[in-house]
Amino acid sequence: MNCKLCADLLHEYVERTLSPEMIEDLNRHLERCEACRVFVKTYMLTVTLSRNVETPCCVSPEMFDRLRTILIDRLINNK
Amino acid sequence: MNSNNKKTVADADLVSRIKLGDTEAMEEIVKRYSNKVYNLAYHLTRDASAAEEIMQEVFLTVISKIGTLTNDAFFSTWLYRVATNASYGFLRKEKKFTDHTPVEELENATPPSYDWSTLPDDILLSDESKTILKEAIDSLSETMRTVVIMKDVEGLKNEEIAQTLGLSVPAVKSRLHRGRLILRDALSDYFSRYEPSNGGAV
Repeated sequence: MNCKLCADLLHEYVERTLSPEMIEDLNRHLERCEACRVFVKTYMLTVTLSRNVETPCCVSPEMFDRLRTILIDRLINNK
Repeated sequence: MNSNNKKTVADADLVSRIKLGDTEAMEEIVKRYSNKVYNLAYHLTRDASAAEEIMQEVFLTVISKIGTLTNDAFFSTWLYRVATNASYGFLRKEKKFTDHTPVEELENATPPSYDWSTLPDDILLSDESKTILKEAIDSLSETMRTVVIMKDVEGLKNEEIAQTLGLSVPAVKSRLHRGRLILRDALSDYFSRYEPSNGGAV
């Protein structure tokens, strides 16, 4: 395992799709390479922060009712 | 049968009924997907009123074009594709569309030497850092931004994103990885102000 391979495998590492052997290899590399350790930690934290950067929003009951009325009307007229 | 299969069958069943003009099936589909469509449109456009218009447009398209859907089991990815295209249409109209990949940023995507992951949460989760991240997301090219939003914000699977955007799964993974590297670079640059060697204090 070298630094380039470590970077290339990072996506699969985050997705947890690497084989146990590859994870072991990667972890061994991380133990002795500080730059890659920082790389992995900041990459993973970037993913976490991206998940939380946007506030989930909801369709309000009024918005839902407006939509429902329009769609039902259109569907009935399409028959 | 797992829960995913059950849901796929239920979607397909609802779609078949909508094709026959069943209003209850339409209402169920709207209940199931309106929040998802609204969120995707809102996160792609960052405009609440546009997101409502897009949501309405998407479900009207469902009614008018559902007959063209040949495999009812792929309804959700078809719906996301319609929503994504409608959002792109809005962005093009508003000229808020980034149609380039910031290659120079990719080339500079090297591991940072400063470990900002150890910073306290009040810095990592500050409004300012969220703004930096949002601006970085907005700076991504169209497809890369859509992939990042679909995966990391909306939580869709790689396979769903691939089907929605007409990409291969490896292409989705590649864009996602490159997008994340650009976002990480932006955050590394911002958080470097807290690096002790830069005189940063936490």
